[in-house]
Amino acid sequence: MITEQQFTNIYNLHASKVHRLCLGYASGDNELAKEWLQETFIKVWKHRNAFKGASSIDTWIYRISVNVCLGDLRKSKKFIQINESLLSDDYDDNTNNDENKIQKMYHCIDQLNEQNRALILLELENIPQNTIAETVGLAHGTLRTRLSRIRKSLLKCIKNEK
Amino acid sequence: MKNDNLNKLWEMQANDSPNFDPKDIITKAKKQRYGQYTSITVMSLTVVILIIYTSYYAFNQWNTFNLGLILMITSLTLRIILEFNSLYRKEKKLILMAQKSYHAYLKKYYKARQMINYVITPICIAVYIFGFYLLLPYFKEYFSKAFYNYILISGTLSIIVVIAIIIKSTIKEQRFLKKLYK
Repeated sequence: MITEQQFTNIYNLHASKVHRLCLGYASGDNELAKEWLQETFIKVWKHRNAFKGASSIDTWIYRISVNVCLGDLRKSKKFIQINESLLSDDYDDNTNNDENKIQKMYHCIDQLNEQNRALILLELENIPQNTIAETVGLAHGTLRTRLSRIRKSLLKCIKNEK
Repeated sequence: MKNDNLNKLWEMQANDSPNFDPKDIITKAKKQRYGQYTSITVMSLTVVILIIYTSYYAFNQWNTFNLGLILMITSLTLRIILEFNSLYRKEKKLILMAQKSYHAYLKKYYKARQMINYVITPICIAVYIFGFYLLLPYFKEYFSKAFYNYILISGTLSIIVVIAIIIKSTIKEQRFLKKLYK
């Protein structure tokens, strides 16, 4: 049983990673990401008795977080507002416009299928591969190859090489 | 662009970390829990009262007013119970399943929801409207014309609003189901 103090520690340890994970899912829509973050930890507290320790607490939290983001019916407002000019061929790798680069990265992440999106977002947050495998429900062996393929396709998308 | 650059780009995101207080999250979670318990208690009480009322009047003074009332409450209660049940089951899966299994579950879930949206809900609405229709002659007899008109108009309007909300959420679910198959 997770006590209030333990919950506080868990929250302080994982909130920022969960928030960034949700931010990736929400294509940079911070308001939506915050809601998902809150929803994740509300569920962690509400269902703390259901956590039997079969997996690590990290895996359990990331699972809830990924599933919360996946199961939300709302569309990200930010995604709708994406500037289409960012997708043009004259995208410069050395541009100082970081915001544009980030927006484009969000857009490219959004093009991935649900599983690949979860995999790359967890990987970008430097979550250990065995935790990613357990969170997503993939065999650890296939994960490395898959991640490398996703990275390549994501980089291509960002550079607009088709 | 190199692999490292992807990580750099990811790190460049505005790290506008939210300042939620874990204690507030616990309070919200508790509030949600109590809200669920209250809803379940209200629902259970409604069903119990409905059963008692029906059993009593079925053997005493049964008329179309009672029938209309029971049809309205039963259809509404049934639809709400279905909604709660489906939400409860979805949440249970959400906290237990890995993303891959949950994704597959969501596909099944929203396909099953189509049965609720396209078959059960229209039946519930039809039964509700029929129940309301059965009550109207009694309202006409016992209430003033102005109040009768008020009941008629507000009743009809609220049914239209409920139908519009249901249609909107059905479209949303349909769109989401398509997205899951992307």
